[in-house]
Amino acid sequence: MLQIVNFSKTYKGGKRAVDGLSLEVNSGDIFGFIGHNGAGKTTTIRAIAGVLNFEEGDILIDGVSIKRDPVYCKKVTAYIPDNPDLYEHLSGIAYLNFIGDIYEVEKSDRRHLIEKYADAFELTSNLGDSISSYSHGMKQKLAIISALIHSPKLLVLDEPFVGLDPKAAHTLKGIMAQMCKNGSAIFFSTHVLEVAEKLCNRIGIIKNGKLVAYGPTQEVTGDSSLEDVFMELVETKQP
Amino acid sequence: MKKVIRLVNVQIWAMLANMLSVGDLKKKKVNVIYAGIVLFTVVLGGTLCYYAYFVGSILKAYNSIEVLPSLFMAFACIMVLFTTLYKVKGTLFGFKDFDLLMSMPVSNSKIVASRIMLLYVLNFVFVFITMGAVTVVYGILARPGLIFYLFNFLAVFLLPLIPIIIASVLGTILSFISIRLKYSNIIYIVLVFLLVLVWMFLPFSIDTNEALAEASKAMADRINTIYPLAGLYSKAVTQGNIMSMIIFAAVSILAFMLFTWGIGKIFVKLNTEVMTGSYKAAYKLGELNISSPLMALYKKEFKRYFASPVYVLNTGFGMALLLILTVCLPFIDMRDLMGDVQLAVSLKEFVPLIILFCMATTCTTMASVSMEGKNLWILKSIPVSAKTIFASKILVNLTLLSPSVLASVIIGIILKFSFIDELLVLLLVVSFALFVPAFGLVINLSFPNLTWTNETVVVKQSTASVISIFSCIGLVAVFYGLIKFTDNFYTGALLFICLIWILNIIIYKVLTEKGVNKFIKL
Repeated sequence: MLQIVNFSKTYKGGKRAVDGLSLEVNSGDIFGFIGHNGAGKTTTIRAIAGVLNFEEGDILIDGVSIKRDPVYCKKVTAYIPDNPDLYEHLSGIAYLNFIGDIYEVEKSDRRHLIEKYADAFELTSNLGDSISSYSHGMKQKLAIISALIHSPKLLVLDEPFVGLDPKAAHTLKGIMAQMCKNGSAIFFSTHVLEVAEKLCNRIGIIKNGKLVAYGPTQEVTGDSSLEDVFMELVETKQP
Repeated sequence: MKKVIRLVNVQIWAMLANMLSVGDLKKKKVNVIYAGIVLFTVVLGGTLCYYAYFVGSILKAYNSIEVLPSLFMAFACIMVLFTTLYKVKGTLFGFKDFDLLMSMPVSNSKIVASRIMLLYVLNFVFVFITMGAVTVVYGILARPGLIFYLFNFLAVFLLPLIPIIIASVLGTILSFISIRLKYSNIIYIVLVFLLVLVWMFLPFSIDTNEALAEASKAMADRINTIYPLAGLYSKAVTQGNIMSMIIFAAVSILAFMLFTWGIGKIFVKLNTEVMTGSYKAAYKLGELNISSPLMALYKKEFKRYFASPVYVLNTGFGMALLLILTVCLPFIDMRDLMGDVQLAVSLKEFVPLIILFCMATTCTTMASVSMEGKNLWILKSIPVSAKTIFASKILVNLTLLSPSVLASVIIGIILKFSFIDELLVLLLVVSFALFVPAFGLVINLSFPNLTWTNETVVVKQSTASVISIFSCIGLVAVFYGLIKFTDNFYTGALLFICLIWILNIIIYKVLTEKGVNKFIKL
């Protein structure tokens, strides 16, 4: 579903945020992308979502290069940034309907899906309010609902659990698991290693822009915990 | 006071960084922009000097030269009042770094003082240029003593305070009225429009048939009656009256202190109401309206436009004026409205000039990319091409420009234009309507500002807005120049239409090629 091929990104000023990253996420996978602050996680995620322009390497979604056909890739992908700044001048329902229009979600499905996910995240009663009146957590929930209503094949999330209350976090985990059962793929970054260890069937650890560990969670952790593996990899000086 | 200065200092630097945001342009291009700003300042100062000298010479001939400083002082005050009224919401209320500022261990009145000082700094440059021009001209014509220069120098610093306070009070009242109503932003916009229109049409009540000197004296007397501080200022600078200067300074400073103290008391309450809006009772999912992606983007863009009073007030005023003029046209004599202009242009030239000028000031696309700000990730992650996004932004601008087509038809009918004249005016309007949005968008893509904290900076003071507005107005001047140069309205108008179509082809090509690349790289 997602193939990253030798992706590199160098920012103006010469900082190489990601260096020759290659990985693959298949349908049914929940892929945890782990790394310290500034390791290159958000850069990678923004490039997958088509938000960040890049020159080196390629990213393929559903077999299509995001450089060649960005509209198709975006059509099958949903992206939620770490701090979702939404249109504050719209109400929650107007935003969801806007997303529904953009992704051309059928009228009958749209109403049902909005109802289903808004109820699951306990946001239905607030959908008529202006987004400007929402708390950070409510905005996060709205962004998640907007990502789910068009039933994406690939869900890309940057720190999705930050700002969510425990119940909403639990709901999201359940939805993620269900989506993978239905054949979607999920790629998300997190700092909460316990969540990654429990939820993901595959993980990748990035350090200073380079992938230092990658594979099925069991294989990467072995007999140790993910936290021990991560600390060992992060503290090891690169040659 | 130290904290206020420190706060103002930080906010001014943040504002300047936003205003002069020139993206990743090469140093050479940045220098060109700075040179443009200097040139604009010199041209503005020069124009004001010219007008001051023109009016001053006539006043001197009628032994009324002492009226000149108070006339220009009144002009500067009215300009400050106008421009501040637009900025109150967004600078004093509903500004983005409110949470950050309020979390600091600084009293509310000091924060209010820092915000008003920010408005002060924004206005000071204009006041300084205006009063600088009149000081030079009055110095040449009246040869006043040293006290004039000393008092005028002091007055320049005090002069913006009272108009800013008046505008802030009016803006605060309008905010209070509008936030309690359902469509608060629309109501706020309409109220400000009405207030500005009342101000604009007030001078028409003055008898314009009087000689300029007499009219200026009458106007100065009227200003002194309406705004007593103008009288105090006039006495202080032209007669060297120390008492008047002391009262002028004391009233300005005391009013400033009183206002900051008073607003400080309701600052948090008002900002909370302005920023949080209203909560509806438990929402129940109803019928959903389905639209195409382009229509969805168009609707979103339209709602965004009307959610920002400063955006609407700065880009919608021209069309509002044109509509009012069209509606009132059957009841007024156009030749009265033209005044002395009818000596230079005919009615058939005047009408398209006015319509094109109003259109030149209605460029929403000059800021529509920048206005996305932190929301840009949404546009960049949705499955819609950059061209569709551009189309939605252009369509909103075209919708707002559409009254100009209607106005040109109605005005043509009322003024009994011939079929050819009417057709030519329509061609001019349609050609220019296609140019303005595309040009604004290209400029905004070249000079984007996505890190703003105050919408006013993007709409009024950004590099993109200054370049767009002045270029569009410049083109209207080119139209006038072509008519005068060819000495024939039809030849001039046809040449202008050809020029606009050449520009349209270039601009649309740039937009769909380089513009798309620029958007992807944002």
